[in-house]
Amino acid sequence: MHIPDGILPITISAAGYATSGAATWYSLRKIGQKEDAQASIPKASLLTAVFFVASWIHIPVPPTSVHLVLNGLLGAVLGYYAFPAILIGLFFQAVMFQHGGLTTLGVNATMMGVPALLAFFVFRLRRVVGKDRRWGVGVFGFLAGATGLGVAALIAWGLLVATIPAHLDAEAERASIYALTLAHMPLIVLEGIFTALVALFLHRVKPELLKD
Amino acid sequence: MGSALSISRLTFSYPDHPNVLQGIDLQVMLGERVGLIGPNGAGKTTLFLLACGVLKPKAGRISLFGEPVQPGDFHPEIGMVFQHPDDQLFCPSVWDDVAFGPQNLGLSKAEVASRVETALSLTGALELASRPPHHLSGGEKRMVSIAGVLAMCPRLIIYDEPSANLDIRSRRRLISFLQTSKETILIASHDLELVLEVCDRVILLDEGRVVADGEPREKMGDVELMEAHGLERPHSLAYHAEPHHGYSGKVVNV
Amino acid sequence: MIDGLDRYACLDSSLHRWDPRCKFVGLIALMFAFSFVQDLRLLPAMLAVTSGLYAASRMPLAFLLTRLRTPAVFVVVVATLLPFISGTTVIARIGPLILRQEGTVAMALIVVKFISILTISLVLFGTAPFLTTIKALQALGLPPILGDMTLLAYRYLYEIGNDLETMERAMGLRGFRARRFSSHTLDVLASLAGTMLVRSYEQSERVYKAMTLRGYGHSPRPRAQFHRMVCIRAHFRDWAGLAGVFLVAASFVAMEIWLRGLGG
Repeated sequence: MHIPDGILPITISAAGYATSGAATWYSLRKIGQKEDAQASIPKASLLTAVFFVASWIHIPVPPTSVHLVLNGLLGAVLGYYAFPAILIGLFFQAVMFQHGGLTTLGVNATMMGVPALLAFFVFRLRRVVGKDRRWGVGVFGFLAGATGLGVAALIAWGLLVATIPAHLDAEAERASIYALTLAHMPLIVLEGIFTALVALFLHRVKPELLKD
Repeated sequence: MGSALSISRLTFSYPDHPNVLQGIDLQVMLGERVGLIGPNGAGKTTLFLLACGVLKPKAGRISLFGEPVQPGDFHPEIGMVFQHPDDQLFCPSVWDDVAFGPQNLGLSKAEVASRVETALSLTGALELASRPPHHLSGGEKRMVSIAGVLAMCPRLIIYDEPSANLDIRSRRRLISFLQTSKETILIASHDLELVLEVCDRVILLDEGRVVADGEPREKMGDVELMEAHGLERPHSLAYHAEPHHGYSGKVVNV
Repeated sequence: MIDGLDRYACLDSSLHRWDPRCKFVGLIALMFAFSFVQDLRLLPAMLAVTSGLYAASRMPLAFLLTRLRTPAVFVVVVATLLPFISGTTVIARIGPLILRQEGTVAMALIVVKFISILTISLVLFGTAPFLTTIKALQALGLPPILGDMTLLAYRYLYEIGNDLETMERAMGLRGFRARRFSSHTLDVLASLAGTMLVRSYEQSERVYKAMTLRGYGHSPRPRAQFHRMVCIRAHFRDWAGLAGVFLVAASFVAMEIWLRGLGG
């Protein structure tokens, strides 16, 4: 899902950096308003590393296996730290594994990070049914996971459609983009389920990890 | 001889674990080398965190070098070497990690550099300066974490299980280092032979209370006392038909 | 795993000696200049500049090729598909396949730009220890929270990666095979992820205690918290290098605009 260097026109790359900058500024401001912001930095940092590593876990989906994106789970657990965490995670991936790109860092961060923040808000909604209700954690965990990947896929779709090179057969291109997006549907459900399962695990073992 | 650490009627509970410490009275004088022994869950680490001001007591008073300890304040005169070096080595390079403390003391760059070099030399870790912590062996990590604390020039150093997971050579290097250190030290350890070789006083802690306090060979040689509190008499203090342990407990050639 | 990046950071070349702040700004500008290019005629110059910079770094070619191996998949897909599916102007027919001009041009642009930008980024991050580059970013104005988070995350990445490996091995030794897609598999893998989160969370609490015990949050100079750049003055040659690279980047942009104006 990471967009590599070299494809996107520079206007989009620049816009991506602008939106990332804004989202980072917003997140840092919200973080600064919390009273124990400093104590949360080691937590957020180590959890960023965990999410980076956790995305290497293979989920067998015959005939192959997939790596989950987990940006929804990251949003649910890290809250406002989710955007900086994703920015840093993508930076590591681009620099260490040449996965994604540096000119496209802003675009990729916006594509994964904004849905992560949305997933956080979705997960927070569980207080409507009572924060500590198990089924609330499960249902809203599912919704958060699905939101994370779903909105990211939507943004990716929008980007691809907007940057179709003029001489590409527009119909065929649009059709293949629709097909790709549809192929993501089962993955979106899988992310939702996995996020719910992990949220339930945390709720049982260490509920303060899910505290807002 | 002045008092380094003075604890009186200290009580502490965790939310899920009441009465971790029950009315502890303890005095450590300047220059003493005190070993703290006891089973897991006795409250040793909790006691250390209270002495450093990281935790707030439920009741009781703690003073460091005559000044009361304010929980949450920064007390550079006391340093603590954690049980797991990975919890303490959080900077990406050895040099940076050892410099962390002096930088927070507001020292000039030159002074920071001088402190770092001195600390690394004392612990024999000078050539590791540019390495990242995850490239170090267990023994190297241990000495670097000690250097990080030494660089702040504390007057009292607390060691929490310093020889855990060390190989024989690293353990021997650690013991030699501790034997020659000039600070007042307080060591919690399951490694009873280390305590015998390094400390001149031992305190036995069990279920949040001080059960014994005195000369190491005498207290740790008391089989009934040790076994009553989940410990064993160190091998070197056992009766031997052919004595082969030197005074400090180390095996000598027969 | 992640180690490979720093491997050649200890070599000696003009790029290794370049002030990391100037290097960062200059090479990023160059990457963006390359990204701006849409004209085929600038590609040979792009390749020339890229190979020149890589050669100047004295890093071995094998290193570049290893690093390009993973993203090469993307390149191969693009190279194979685009010339045959994109565009209307026919260049050649190979059996049933029709080679189209627009697609071939697009492919050439994407492939060359991709490889060039990747190579420049390898030069940027391979010629200095990762830590030094992050400090350069901090010196350039990276917000302290981001800087602290990056360094802490980088520090613990290895341990956590090793933990994952160890746990997977332990699971395997007790008979778990993640082969079937089933609710049991998902449960186990979710527990694995959850366990890693909990362990790191608990470790982070201990790390925070260790940090506060050595003064984190109590620094008399609040901005000088964590990892301040050891003061290196940039010399004239560092600025000259920066100016040179800016000039090259600007030339690419100017040429691109001019060629577009010509209707090329």
